[in-house]
Amino acid sequence: MAEVQEPDRGHVATQHTADVGLRAWASDRRTLFEEAAAGLAAISADVDPEAAREAVPVETDGDDLEQLAFTWLNELIGLAEDRRQALCRAEVAELDQDEAWRLRARAWFAPYDGSRVRPRLQVKAATMHGLQVEELPDRWELEAYLDV
Amino acid sequence: MSAKTTVAEQLRLERVDGCRWKIPLDPKRGMRVEGLVFADDAMIMPLRDDPCLTQVANVATLPGIVGRSLGMPDIHWGYGFPIGGVAALRTEDGVVSPGGIGFDINCGVRLMRSSLAEPDVRPHLDRLADRLFEAVPSGVGARAGGRRGEAELDQVLRRGAAWAVEAGYGTPTDLTVIEERGRLASADPDQVSSRARSRGKDQLGTLGSGNHFLEVQAVDRVLDADAAAALGLAEGQVTVMIHCGSRGLGHQVCTDHLAVMDRARRRYGIELPDRQLACAPLGSPEGAAYLGAMAAAANFAWANRQIIGAAVRAVFGELFGARAGELPLVYDVSHNMAKIEEHLIDGRRMEVCVHRKGATRAFPAGHPAVPEPYRSVGQPVLIPGDMGRHSMVAVGLPGAMEETFGSSCHGAGRLLSRHAALRQLRGQNLVEQLRRDGIVVRAERRDLLAEEASVAYKDVEAVVRVAAAAGHVLPVVRLKPLAVIKG
Repeated sequence: MAEVQEPDRGHVATQHTADVGLRAWASDRRTLFEEAAAGLAAISADVDPEAAREAVPVETDGDDLEQLAFTWLNELIGLAEDRRQALCRAEVAELDQDEAWRLRARAWFAPYDGSRVRPRLQVKAATMHGLQVEELPDRWELEAYLDV
Repeated sequence: MSAKTTVAEQLRLERVDGCRWKIPLDPKRGMRVEGLVFADDAMIMPLRDDPCLTQVANVATLPGIVGRSLGMPDIHWGYGFPIGGVAALRTEDGVVSPGGIGFDINCGVRLMRSSLAEPDVRPHLDRLADRLFEAVPSGVGARAGGRRGEAELDQVLRRGAAWAVEAGYGTPTDLTVIEERGRLASADPDQVSSRARSRGKDQLGTLGSGNHFLEVQAVDRVLDADAAAALGLAEGQVTVMIHCGSRGLGHQVCTDHLAVMDRARRRYGIELPDRQLACAPLGSPEGAAYLGAMAAAANFAWANRQIIGAAVRAVFGELFGARAGELPLVYDVSHNMAKIEEHLIDGRRMEVCVHRKGATRAFPAGHPAVPEPYRSVGQPVLIPGDMGRHSMVAVGLPGAMEETFGSSCHGAGRLLSRHAALRQLRGQNLVEQLRRDGIVVRAERRDLLAEEASVAYKDVEAVVRVAAAAGHVLPVVRLKPLAVIKG
């Protein structure tokens, strides 16, 4: 399973007996949600980043940051399955709060081709179990468990 | 300095007897009832510091829970509910929690029996596995040949396996041996979102991936001759087991309604120790909407298994002749579902919503919901194991009604994470190892097969022994795998 570990942003798959955990970190909230998407992409498929073709606009909201993370990850999971394509990456353009937290982004997908884009694990959904979005002294961190 | 306390110590887990462990009522945790986990002394050891015990205690906090919060012998860490979790919530004032059913609504198991014996099939296993792998789309992104239109999908959601039979997949006799006859009449397709419909529209007849599988098996041990005869099973007989659920449609139904309930629970003043337990009163608009959508997704899953069963019959007919292609259905059982049932609780008959998350209904002989051919022996309980060892068939016993709301285990239960299994088997050719044991495997990703290897699971025989010792099921036959199709 791919891991990206850089000082200021990254993601890693964590262990769970039946499912898969995901931890992402970044210096700001917007990048954190991009990293969470990158982690989800790495768990779901083996993808050559160059294979990404189309960008799809994505908008989600949530009453708090955890609910926003739940709707964001599940929107990406739903879009990938709906399109029968692999999620490659996402760019978050806006993440702010008025009455609710709102996120506006673009997500890139690529068709499975058996070589550059190969399915890995069918992620059924992101769960709310242990879901956390937290500001630590030096960074933002997100933890989630994915049902596979 | 004192050592870190384990989850079992924090919960004051108590040994009741050789197969029962009690989590005493702890009002400080918000528990409304005790927890009870079924495990023998060996099985409880790796669970002593496992989140699944906390999850049993967390479920005990749900409003309206009665009896006990239960963990079946295959219990392991889930999300919200443990996998292997059972809870009954009073319909009068209780809640329904989509996480207590899971994302794969009506994930379940179907068993078919053939007229063939192992020696008839063994010389043709490779060809059989190839044809089954072609005939039943599996893996991530698997699509069936036909895309269902909205009107047709509505019929699937309303009528489940009955729709499939009318569409030419299987026979009316099949319906008599499917839990609920393969259809929940309470289905409300209007509560299934357009995203859910879109995810599922070309997935009918597909297996999916993860722990889902299609296996050709042989009965390698008869454990109760009378019950085996009632189920039409005999030593050496070839069977087919199918394990899958409601695919993307069901996953999206759970996601949609979980989000609604996460918002609604504050309005209902429900405090929860884990957000994945998000719930709403059974009588609320949110509760009713979820139950209607869940039933529709359950019907989709039954139609899915019915179509896969028909594809398997076609392959057997093509390779072994028309009689072999009949493959009568033994039973089809759900292990992710909520059902409104009546149970005797503390001496009172009560209507409850029984949540079974990774748990199988296990009604005993004489229960009106048990199909007529099995009423004298009890409802078949289909318990898949792992691809290298065995699966089991049992029947429900009265003890299950008395103690678990008529429920039992649903599988072997995972022991290792996917990562740990891959690490443990790194460098080994699992497909070749299984072939040496006489098991042929076809998989979309052979390099990831180790995630589902035997080492990742408990021994299903040990799990069923606990369920039997507790008086919940009578083991009937043991099945060994011959050919395994994995997504």
